[in-house]
Amino acid sequence: MADEFMKGFACLMVGGLGWMTIKGWYNTPSFEGAQLTGELTIEEPTTFDQIALFMGDAFFWFAVLGALTFWVVLPLISEFQAYLNERSA
Amino acid sequence: MSDNDTDDVRTDGSGTGIVSPDDETPAWSERKERTQGLSRLTYEYFERARREDQDLRQESDYIERDVLAFPAWPHEMMRNIALTSFFVGMILFVSATLPPEMPNPANSSVTPAIILPDWYLYWSFGLLKLGPLNPDLSILGGSKLMADRTYGVLANVVVVGFVAIVPFLNKGSARRPVEQPFWAAVGMSGVIFSLTIAALSIKNLVPMDSHLLFDLTFLVPIVSATITYAVLKTMREGYMFDLNRRYYRLRPPK
Repeated sequence: MADEFMKGFACLMVGGLGWMTIKGWYNTPSFEGAQLTGELTIEEPTTFDQIALFMGDAFFWFAVLGALTFWVVLPLISEFQAYLNERSA
Repeated sequence: MSDNDTDDVRTDGSGTGIVSPDDETPAWSERKERTQGLSRLTYEYFERARREDQDLRQESDYIERDVLAFPAWPHEMMRNIALTSFFVGMILFVSATLPPEMPNPANSSVTPAIILPDWYLYWSFGLLKLGPLNPDLSILGGSKLMADRTYGVLANVVVVGFVAIVPFLNKGSARRPVEQPFWAAVGMSGVIFSLTIAALSIKNLVPMDSHLLFDLTFLVPIVSATITYAVLKTMREGYMFDLNRRYYRLRPPK
């Protein structure tokens, strides 16, 4: 159980750090305005900008889905399998 | 029961130097009988550490001492190096990728619209705003005993003084909150009060009626203390308090 927690936590931290970095570059117009959720700061994204924007979304969903997978989905599956084994035994 | 527990145990460096803390700790022979899983792995780790320690003792020309512990190198240092590297790496990464903006220098000839201390002093700033608690005395004709500002400064003295005497009130042996729910609840109410009094200090910026905020400043700590006490009291059941007591009551070497 501790391992599963650590894996989910690692997903959350790595994804969150990447998301925070890219949102800090592209979605933080000013120091005293909206942070990380502001409007896009560039007009015409180059190829590298597009890659970075895609990576921002990827990091976000990696954090959310990774934590959900290791904290909710996999424990549910193992519980369900234990339940099935118990019933068949 | 333990074979270390006999009278001829030596802790002057001639033996293993290992004394069972009490009768419930497994003896070396009992550890050795475990043949699988984590208990086996634990045994092998301890056995290897003990063996390395023994070899070092035999090789070295240092005077033997009574030390019931693992050497700091490499057991503790490897963990510390890993943790230190992680945090240093974090600092480098964040400062390289998200450098903070350098705003304009402060203009010393203009008074800012909102005057606030740094955020970590908000609680002290909030204590200066306890004017409504300053009692009116009827024998003084309804006037106050002391000015509101004096009262606020005295409130700081009281709070800081209380924090200063807490270590002398209770220096119990508890290492976890469940072991002493009452004191954990007192501490929790203090933490929450430091947050609510900080919110009171910036009441102009809090979207709430200021009288309600003033009442909540003192009610929320009491409520949180009650909840903490109830939760910890419920968690007590089945908790192994003996682990701590045993750990801190290691039998001294003979």
